[in-house]
Amino acid sequence: MGNFDLEAIQKAQKAKNRKSIIKRIWRYKWIYLFMLLPGLAVIIIFRYLPLPGIALAWKKFTPTFGAKGLYSYLASSKPVGWKHFESLWREKAFWNATKNTFMISILKLVFGFPFPVILAILINEMTMKRYKKVMQTIYTFPHFLSWVVVAGMVLNLFGDTGVVKSVVSKFNPDAVANWNFLYNSRSFRPLLIISDIWKEGGWGTILYLAAIAGVDPSLHEAAIVDGANRFQRIVHITLPEITSLIIIMLILQIGNMMNANFDQIFNLYSAPVFDVGDVIDTYIYRITFQSSTAMDYGFSTAVGLFKNVINFVLLIGANQIAKLFGHDGIM
Amino acid sequence: MAKNKVKYGQEENVVAGAHMVRHVHTFDVILFILLTLFALVIVYPFYNTILVSIVPQADYTRQPFMLIPKRVTWENYKFVFESPLLLRSMLNSVVLAVVGTIYNMVLTVLLAYTFTKRDLPGRNIFRFILVFTMYFGGGLVPTYLLYKALGLVGNWWVLVLPTGVSITYMLIISSNMSELPAEIEESAKMDGANDIQILFKIVLPLIKPILATFTIYYAVERWNEWYSAMLYLKDNKLWPLQMALRQIISSATSISTVAMTGETRPPIYGEGIKMACIVVTVFPLMALYPFLQRYFLTGLTLGAVKG
Repeated sequence: MGNFDLEAIQKAQKAKNRKSIIKRIWRYKWIYLFMLLPGLAVIIIFRYLPLPGIALAWKKFTPTFGAKGLYSYLASSKPVGWKHFESLWREKAFWNATKNTFMISILKLVFGFPFPVILAILINEMTMKRYKKVMQTIYTFPHFLSWVVVAGMVLNLFGDTGVVKSVVSKFNPDAVANWNFLYNSRSFRPLLIISDIWKEGGWGTILYLAAIAGVDPSLHEAAIVDGANRFQRIVHITLPEITSLIIIMLILQIGNMMNANFDQIFNLYSAPVFDVGDVIDTYIYRITFQSSTAMDYGFSTAVGLFKNVINFVLLIGANQIAKLFGHDGIM
Repeated sequence: MAKNKVKYGQEENVVAGAHMVRHVHTFDVILFILLTLFALVIVYPFYNTILVSIVPQADYTRQPFMLIPKRVTWENYKFVFESPLLLRSMLNSVVLAVVGTIYNMVLTVLLAYTFTKRDLPGRNIFRFILVFTMYFGGGLVPTYLLYKALGLVGNWWVLVLPTGVSITYMLIISSNMSELPAEIEESAKMDGANDIQILFKIVLPLIKPILATFTIYYAVERWNEWYSAMLYLKDNKLWPLQMALRQIISSATSISTVAMTGETRPPIYGEGIKMACIVVTVFPLMALYPFLQRYFLTGLTLGAVKG
């Protein structure tokens, strides 16, 4: 009994496991084929097949854009080493776009982030239920509009023929002499922040309201017995109960910094405000599709790669930190 | 002011609850005013858009700020509904919303069900492959050239096929499917049902409200599509409504710049026509929103449920 062959037993066990894996795979064959494969194939074709194209960042690549497909370009273009990254380093417009991306994200963080928190608390304090519901319907609606539509309305309101100019002229006719609110470096970023709050501020309240609704009512009852007023209850009960959610949302928004909202900026900006409004995504779009001079598309691939790598690190980092605060990773 | 609030607040708490309805406190008044004010800020641009679209151009130019229009004209809407570009793009958008949403939902639901199988060999690898795409992509140039290679540039299907699956929606639906009691599925299996039957006959009917939510989200995304059209579709016959709208808005803004440089003028779209286009674009959403609000609003919290 003592000298049984351990190795043989392990081998047999492994063979058995292998067999059971094959068995399990066979058992799920229809799931693989009809349920997993379609979605997976779409993701692989449209999200993974472009990835080898990143190699263009190290290649010279100037022919007419889009005349041929990705892989024929990859095969035919010559490697140039780190040239594109070096010229990227010296490119002023690139640094301007990088700086703007961070600046706009930070401004949105400072002004845009607290807004839904405060609004959610105010909505929660509202005692008229019907009215509250109507308000919520109104607040959340703009989220579902495209930036094409919202920008269309903004351009009309603040434009040359718009209401804002006409109202301002009533109070201060001098101020509208050279009206260029949309094309002014000083007013463009505030415009971005205000229109962002207008569109997303109400939508942002939903998670906070759900969290506030989950607060144990007995906490409030106990506080009322202890003589706490409404303001004190907001500060000492409601806020602490949603703090971890606030922290998670803050971290996730910081992680998303590199995405300064292409849709919004692209539909609102114009050449006069490139110095304050051009972000990396709009910059990549312009040098790729709207450049007047012959462009090396390897360069614009390099800019895209630069952005995507930083974005990746920020997103992963933010997600990991948010997990420490109880974030589940899908949201 | 702050002092007042505290005083009234304390008074309220002495007889907590009962007289809240009877007395209106300063705090409530301020609250009411603030919330109403924000609602007005949201509503006004819509109201202004509708007004500009229905008043004669001359009235609007004379007095842009209006509350009640003196004269009403339907000329702008006549233009919109007689413009071949806009009519075609409306039709395109409707088809896109229907076809795209079905395509998205079918793929999403199938994947979601796959990931409820905890002992599926390779489950974690497949999950990683999908989730990775949420964090990293090829970028504009590689993607464009790949689509070129696939024959999608200039092809209407570029608006549909690459949209595929939203990984976030898929994972939320999947986790909701997993929360269903396992016995339901087991007993169905005993009765000889296969996975496809279980999914469509048992699982999906049980999560109908969640499916409604994400169907709506996908439909809104497809309805709002313009970016892919701008990148890949030069031919405006293939454009969805949002892209046509964008074209009209931006060409009208460029009139002033063109006029300055003295070049020939592009077709003139007045503010009235632009705003009429916006109203037409937003109308379906606005008409449905109050009725479907429940579904519109639950998506985010569905994701947060799983702790």
